[in-house]
Amino acid sequence: MKAHSFRRPAHRGAAAVSLDDPQGRLASRQQFLEGFQSVGTRQASRRAVLAGLAALLAAPVLPARAASLRVAVLDYALAETLIALGLPPVGLSNARGWSRWVVEPVLPAGTVDLGIDLAVNREVLASLKPDLILTTDYVAQQEEALSVIAPVKRLTIYDGSAPALDKAKAVTLALGDMVGLAAEASRFLAETEADFAGRKQRNAVAGRRPVLVLSFMDARHVRVYGRPGLAAGVLDAIGISNAWKPETNLWGFETVPVERLAQAGEADILVLDPVPPDALPTLQRGPLWRELPAVKRGRLTVLPPALMFGALPSARRFARFATEGASA
Amino acid sequence: MSALRQPIGPGALSLGLLAATLATGVLVLLPALREAAGPLPVAAFDHDRMVLLHSTLPRLVMALLCGAMLGLAGALLQAALGNPLASPTTIGTDAGARLALALAGLFAPALYGWGRDLVALAGAGAATGLVFLLSRRQGFAAVSLVLAGLVVSLYAGALAGLLTLVEDRYLAGLLIWGAGSLSQQSWEPASGLAIRAALLLPLALLLARPLQLVELGEDAARGLGVPAERLRLLAIALAVALAAFVSASVGVIGFVGLVAPAIARAAGATRVKNRLVWSAVLGGLILLLTDLLVTLLAGPFADFLPTGAVTAVLGSPILLWLLPRVSRGSAPPIKPSDPERARRRPGRGALVLALLALAAFAAALLLGHAPGGWGLATGAALEAVLPFRWPRLLASAGAGALLGLAGLLLQRLTANPMASPEVVGVSAGATFAMVLSVFLVGAAGAASVTGAALLGSLAALLLVLVLARRSGFAPERVLLAGLAVNALLDAVVVVLSATGDPRAIQLLGWLAGFTANVSPGSALVVAAGAAVLVPLALLLQRWLALLPLGFPPAAALGVPVPAARATLLALSGLAVALATPVIGPLSFVGLMAPNIVRRLGIQAAGAAVLASAACGALVLLVADIAANALAHPLQLPTGLVASLVGAPFLLWLLQSRKAA
Repeated sequence: MKAHSFRRPAHRGAAAVSLDDPQGRLASRQQFLEGFQSVGTRQASRRAVLAGLAALLAAPVLPARAASLRVAVLDYALAETLIALGLPPVGLSNARGWSRWVVEPVLPAGTVDLGIDLAVNREVLASLKPDLILTTDYVAQQEEALSVIAPVKRLTIYDGSAPALDKAKAVTLALGDMVGLAAEASRFLAETEADFAGRKQRNAVAGRRPVLVLSFMDARHVRVYGRPGLAAGVLDAIGISNAWKPETNLWGFETVPVERLAQAGEADILVLDPVPPDALPTLQRGPLWRELPAVKRGRLTVLPPALMFGALPSARRFARFATEGASA
Repeated sequence: MSALRQPIGPGALSLGLLAATLATGVLVLLPALREAAGPLPVAAFDHDRMVLLHSTLPRLVMALLCGAMLGLAGALLQAALGNPLASPTTIGTDAGARLALALAGLFAPALYGWGRDLVALAGAGAATGLVFLLSRRQGFAAVSLVLAGLVVSLYAGALAGLLTLVEDRYLAGLLIWGAGSLSQQSWEPASGLAIRAALLLPLALLLARPLQLVELGEDAARGLGVPAERLRLLAIALAVALAAFVSASVGVIGFVGLVAPAIARAAGATRVKNRLVWSAVLGGLILLLTDLLVTLLAGPFADFLPTGAVTAVLGSPILLWLLPRVSRGSAPPIKPSDPERARRRPGRGALVLALLALAAFAAALLLGHAPGGWGLATGAALEAVLPFRWPRLLASAGAGALLGLAGLLLQRLTANPMASPEVVGVSAGATFAMVLSVFLVGAAGAASVTGAALLGSLAALLLVLVLARRSGFAPERVLLAGLAVNALLDAVVVVLSATGDPRAIQLLGWLAGFTANVSPGSALVVAAGAAVLVPLALLLQRWLALLPLGFPPAAALGVPVPAARATLLALSGLAVALATPVIGPLSFVGLMAPNIVRRLGIQAAGAAVLASAACGALVLLVADIAANALAHPLQLPTGLVASLVGAPFLLWLLQSRKAA
């Protein structure tokens, strides 16, 4: 993001919180991004990310005036992170789908729906008088148009530069830094890592079978989640083996016909809601599905929705379900 | 079988295909078969064996069955209509089923079994019926039927796309289904489909003889007591049912129903009965072979590739191959404009349209949602929303003017009132290039996208030019070439969407034509393009006036035909390339505007240029107002909203055009 996006529109009132003079942070952000871009291999990436993070954490941050900062977001992952940091967004694109795909953390009732994320409603957005607008690579083509309203910053977790969980951690810190909640972000990250570590211990004791994590597309096709996605990262972090070994796309899923699941053998199956209502009944009528070890032995669990393209809050939600089952 | 005695022989061809299929089949199945033949493994769950028995084998049967049903459906349609271009894909049957099942997926997701079939049947029947209604006046002429089919398909596709964008962007199942995956997990769907096929097949064979009589001549058939009309209807209904059942169980498998009968005929199956039988055989083998090759080439760990999308990608160019057969024989050429009464003062009409466009622009600037509800904004409130409204409206108006201009140029150039950037495939070409630039190059900057759009639209225009040169711009050839390009684009989009790649959603967004957040820079570029190209076209009004007379007369009157043609094509290509990144390829404005102008009796070339541009701008501005008012706070894509008006308009146009 170039500095010009920080230009303040002339017609805005003086009430807005200042985001000017972000020089120090910009410099560190640059280092941080270079950390991502310079990596060639996955092994190297974690180190590079952490180096970038260190540079970020050392950088000067805004004074903690987050309570008054009005942030509008065009992405669920960034929105849930903001909520976790205690700064719920004032506006969110596709807000009406939140309860179906994200659920937790609860979206505060006052959050305004900005419409379709590919073309957010700028009139509504401007009426919210945001101080900052957050985008990702996928909605980036609107940035120029949005920068008329408020400074625009782009933070993308799913860009393939690092495994999703690592990148989500980095983005959490970067976001915290950006909105003056660096301490909260570090605390939340530490809390998340402690949570994962605790689960890892418990799972080691319990001796968990490998799991297959999937969403049903229809009665014949599933998305199965693997590296470098969020679910795979969480499973690694909480010490459960992911039965899906092949590398998937950069969002961490692969669309496969159901029969391919047979190769996962004895693995337990975790299915994420929403499941198309005809999928399981249709499959139940066929021996291929009924004879899958997990189905046959009743080790298939349908979990409540958890956003597989989310950030740390979704990761923790999924970690909870993966460890404790649907009732968690 | 008499067909075996044919010179090339569909039988011999089928045997060859069968051999290829068997060879591929062995390659695919060998590992699993070796496993299955070996000693029983110790593990309780033998997954290779289970997959072979309950997935691989039913899938093979399913491929054969679906291919055969589609081949038969295509052959029935072609025989009933005497139209070598008819098929479930080209006359809207597939698209109707697709839309109906998409709606069912949203509003009655628990539907399966016969319920799904009925929904598919209703959709397929409705779409096909609409297509027939529309081409009835032209006596179901090959080209007008397929054009109507194309438009209905585009319309249904646009609606399904809108649903996916607005209702549920994670609705990937719909996309997979639309792409036609053959994967199976039990014998149940295959046996269910087999029952349906078994019910319909005897009927089809019974129809073969009477259809033969009809083909020999309608009067002769009537003399022999064959009710030709009713017979055709029955054959068509049968074909629709066959295609709908296939759609309901595996999704849309494009173009098998077009290709199989074409090959059967080319191989020498002339009699209707032979054509029906061999189309079914060849259709089954073609789909099976394709599916096996997809399985083999894709490998167990490659990206998911739905077979139906592959057949569509491979099959849509076949349309181009079929074109010469059509333009020479059965199709009555589309005649240039019906003699509309020319207005005495066309300039005044153009002025009125321009004023209306201005009024719409002003209204759209002032009207909109405000905190207090929908209404006029004034004073400070207006000042607050103006920066968001003007780029959107300027871009819409500019794109509309450009498309209106491009449509007029193409229509004058081809002397064909149905030509337009959308129908001729120029918009599709531009979009295609945009897609490639994003997926291959990865760049999404406005400049690179516009550049790609320019290359794509010019390439599509060149293709049209090459194809058209040989036939001296036979209008139907131009239109159908565009149709093939459109179908190819659709197939590629479907392949991309089915993998679940989120970039596919962006792509859908593009096709849909969101104008809401066009940057002021792009808006100014589009508007400037219109401001330059429209006057430029005015300078060429002499050519535009004379070219519709035909090239030789125009040349005789002093028009440098090759230069004029190249200039006008380049001009319209440029106009489309500027407009498409903003409004997408589906708006139909390029078709609507010049036709409205013609209906208004504005014929003088100069006035028509101005009026078309003004009318295009007016249409998109009205669509823009609607797109922003209908589902607040959602801003619907203006391009799609325009097409929701434009497609029915096109259909009306097709329908009201008098038979040649």
